[in-house]
Amino acid sequence: MPFFSMAWRNLLRSKRRTLITATSVAFGVFLAVTFTGSGDYSYTDLINTSAIMGFGHVAVEPPGYNDTPSLAKWLTHGADIRQRVAAVEGVSAAYSRITGQGLFASGAKSVGGVFFAIDPELESPAHNLFLRKIKQGELFADSNGNGIVVGAKMAEKLNLRLGKKVIYTVTDKDGEMVSGVSRVAGIYKTGDDMVDGALAILPLGRMRRVLGYGEQGATMVNVFIEDQRRATAMRHKLAKILGGGEHQVLSWKQTQADMAGLIAIDRASNYIMQVLVGLLIAAGIFNTIFMSVLERGREFGMMMALGMRSGQVVRLVMLESVLIGVLGLLLGLIITAPWYIYMYNTGIDFSGLIGDDYSAGGVLIDPVMKLRLFKESVIAILGGVFGLTLAAGIYPAWRAGRVPPVESIKVL
Amino acid sequence: MVEAPTVQLRQVSKHYTQGQVAVKAVDALDLTIAKGEFTVLCGPSGSGKTTILNLIGALDVPTSGTVLLEGRDLGSLGRAELSRLRRDRIGFVFQAYNLVPVLTAYENAEFVLALQNVPKEERHQRVMALLAEVGLAGLENRRPDELSGGQQQRVAIARAIVPNPAVILADEPTANVDSATADTLLGLMERLNHEKGITFLFSTHDQRVMDRAHRIIRLQDGRLLDDEVRE
Repeated sequence: MPFFSMAWRNLLRSKRRTLITATSVAFGVFLAVTFTGSGDYSYTDLINTSAIMGFGHVAVEPPGYNDTPSLAKWLTHGADIRQRVAAVEGVSAAYSRITGQGLFASGAKSVGGVFFAIDPELESPAHNLFLRKIKQGELFADSNGNGIVVGAKMAEKLNLRLGKKVIYTVTDKDGEMVSGVSRVAGIYKTGDDMVDGALAILPLGRMRRVLGYGEQGATMVNVFIEDQRRATAMRHKLAKILGGGEHQVLSWKQTQADMAGLIAIDRASNYIMQVLVGLLIAAGIFNTIFMSVLERGREFGMMMALGMRSGQVVRLVMLESVLIGVLGLLLGLIITAPWYIYMYNTGIDFSGLIGDDYSAGGVLIDPVMKLRLFKESVIAILGGVFGLTLAAGIYPAWRAGRVPPVESIKVL
Repeated sequence: MVEAPTVQLRQVSKHYTQGQVAVKAVDALDLTIAKGEFTVLCGPSGSGKTTILNLIGALDVPTSGTVLLEGRDLGSLGRAELSRLRRDRIGFVFQAYNLVPVLTAYENAEFVLALQNVPKEERHQRVMALLAEVGLAGLENRRPDELSGGQQQRVAIARAIVPNPAVILADEPTANVDSATADTLLGLMERLNHEKGITFLFSTHDQRVMDRAHRIIRLQDGRLLDDEVRE
């Protein structure tokens, strides 16, 4: 039986109705690509920005450090852990770091803030936002030297310039107050005043000595991976490789729990919106197919009188539904492709509305809205739209298969 | 071995209610149609002609009694078996032609063979031969809306005949065509009956059909009024 040909010709019987329905499917594809693509891009951007602002995608920390951070908690073999982790397949980079609270002073002025101790020989701008944002001077070269890089706002508050002295005071591993003197090697500016006014970057080797951490000490080992979606899997993998001991392995979802919560809520509302749009589109398809079935009741009855089984009638109507779905998907791809390419490459710049330094929870947010679709999202969109189209056809198809032939013949 | 009659109705009744009124569309009817008959059911509206065709065509079920087609009790068959029976052993010709509007004349005639999964090449040979036989050579690719009423009814006849059914049930087949076309169609069906031995059972008011019939069964109120066999 030429079902395909029959189904296609049946759709062409009411070209306008078929086109309107296919267009609504196409519009659904457009919306799904926009919503999902925007989410895929912005969540990834947020997570990656958070990672390069000092959190990493995965972090190895002393037990309890994430809940109550303290310089009294540190990894005694941080450097060893870093080396082992860096060699794991799938890890792009790993860095030992120390971070904690401190007081920074120059002359008569002082500000409270956070220090971030890094090894200048290992660190890369690819995994450290502050290195990319140095506007004056440069990163200190010696891990044991006395250089410091401060934020532009902190420099303004303390009236600092390159080469000026900064006295920092922190508590060491035993809780004793200790101080050190550095000279400003560089000034960075992220654009977020909260960050720029509070965070200073110090050399890792020197801070190990100041804090009494020994040669390998660190408060964390930050791990970077190519695809942030694999953070949880990498967390489990590293935990298994490192085994038990004086450390715990956490993904960004735990170290950045607030951000993870925001993303989860945003993602859920995005899904709900898409489901609602999908249901509206499915209702449109349902209406088209159902109307078509009601109009052709006699025809179905006659075909069944001639020996067509009700299952074959159901198959015919389902095929019509599938064809509308395929037509809608193709139309959707045609109208969405130029939009996606533009949004992938250029995007829409909202910096005029929200500024360049828009941040959420201290994490800078890209003011340019772009679209990126993960392979899984593409499959989900195509599958979702196709599934909804099929679902919309089930009841009309069932109804078509239940038309009693005799009822149809009576009215002839 | 004695061959079973093509159609046999034993004490068949079909009752239904129309609003508050109980209607006896067919009332305890006994009827036998032998192979190769060219028979007409006639009678006034409401006499039960179409109901009888529906019962024989396995489109409806009797309230009581037994309908047998080639000796098979239709009441004992399931939905799928009834579908198969209609497909393989019964041909329908309707008053309004009832062609599938999106299919061409060829595809309409091919419809039942396709349902039977007859190989494409064989389908092609049989359909083309039959379309030529009913006078539609050259019109194979036309859709129903591109054919006249008479041509559409020829396609319907071809569709009914092509699977070699046991019986063709024709409900007012000449009602929607002009006299000349009706004569041509009847001549065609008569020839097919004569040459191929196909059993035809008509429901009609049309005197022209009755004039050609070998047997005329007159009905009234669902009961047999008269059964006239002609030489």
